[in-house]
Amino acid sequence: MVDKLTTDIGGDSAGPVPQEDRDQLFWEKQMIAAFNLLQVKGVVVTDEFRRTVEEMPADYYANSTFYGRRLDGMVRLLIEKGVIDADTIEARTREILESGTRDHV
Amino acid sequence: MSEAEPSYAVGDRVRILDIGKPGHVRTPTYIRHKVGTIERFCGMFENPEDKAYGRWGLPPIPLYRVQLKQDDIWPDYDGAPGDVLEIEIYDHWLAPAGETT
Amino acid sequence: MSDHDHDHDDHAPTREDDDLELTEGEARFLALKSLLIEGGVMTADEIRARMEFNERGSPHQAARMIARAWVDPDYKARMLADTKSAAAELGIEATEAALVTIENTPERHNMVVCTLCSCYPRSLLGEPPAFYVSKAYRSRAVREPRKVLREFGVDIPDAVDIAVHDSNADLRYVIMPMRPQGTEGMSEEELAALITRDSVVGCALPVEPA
Repeated sequence: MVDKLTTDIGGDSAGPVPQEDRDQLFWEKQMIAAFNLLQVKGVVVTDEFRRTVEEMPADYYANSTFYGRRLDGMVRLLIEKGVIDADTIEARTREILESGTRDHV
Repeated sequence: MSEAEPSYAVGDRVRILDIGKPGHVRTPTYIRHKVGTIERFCGMFENPEDKAYGRWGLPPIPLYRVQLKQDDIWPDYDGAPGDVLEIEIYDHWLAPAGETT
Repeated sequence: MSDHDHDHDDHAPTREDDDLELTEGEARFLALKSLLIEGGVMTADEIRARMEFNERGSPHQAARMIARAWVDPDYKARMLADTKSAAAELGIEATEAALVTIENTPERHNMVVCTLCSCYPRSLLGEPPAFYVSKAYRSRAVREPRKVLREFGVDIPDAVDIAVHDSNADLRYVIMPMRPQGTEGMSEEELAALITRDSVVGCALPVEPA
């Protein structure tokens, strides 16, 4: 018996299903489009991406949002594959946050 | 590359296995060890358990939809006796259920 | 607050969240995007084009197909046999490897969940709603579907069986709801307006005609 994957939650008990919906934000749409391209171009494979989400620590997964963990999983996978560098994306993220504007990207 | 042949036909009784494989798999734990019926053969698909680690997942493997009675999955199921669950299971996660089920 | 007179990308969809604070998540994505573009992995134009393509995936696509199936038995047979080709007939380009249509009947109501992640027929329904990707729905739909449906205001009598479909591997599922009574004279377009996103996931019934 192998430990249950963090994503393997079918049949678990849980509270009420959230009924309120929300529209995707612009950057979330952009992100999905960029991720689609990564797949179409063969840079990543869906199952690799799922695996990186499954490898997240259980408490991180439990507290993550849908788009948040997608971004996180993809960043981890692209670092693993050497497409991007961990320090570079961290530094770039800080830079953008400090500038507080979307306009320079 | 030669392809595996489907081992099961529609209507066959099958048991879903727990093959004890660590890492990325698509057979959730809640359905393992349960018995159901082959509802349809879905076709041949690349093996996600390989694709998750940068391999091609070839040759393709047979995928089926297995129908199970909810009462056979959850001992305390609260619903109608005819309620069912259907799920996609790859060939190597299945075994014949035997005649006594 | 920022003003809106600066020059945005041409042809970009409206920046509807332009007046929201920049979050850590968005900043991280923008960092990633700039690195992917600088690295030559993709271009900004490609991202824009893909966004426009993705915008076509909306519940209206599934609704068009189901409305056609309600009025045209031959189309319905083709949709049940090969959903992807049936989509193509209506000019819908489905990117899913395999699509399956499951028909609700007076004897059986169907609903879909992806317990392991968020598999969803995006070409026909767009991005999944918040409830579909919630851990509560993913956890409970397979174990207590009737209770979950009641939370959606859908009460399926015990005389009707429920089939839950765990979309856990390669197939993506479209539920074809039953055509409501009292819709005999309605056009395909009017019928399509009755078919909601949630009814195609099996968490709602079609809108009753006024």
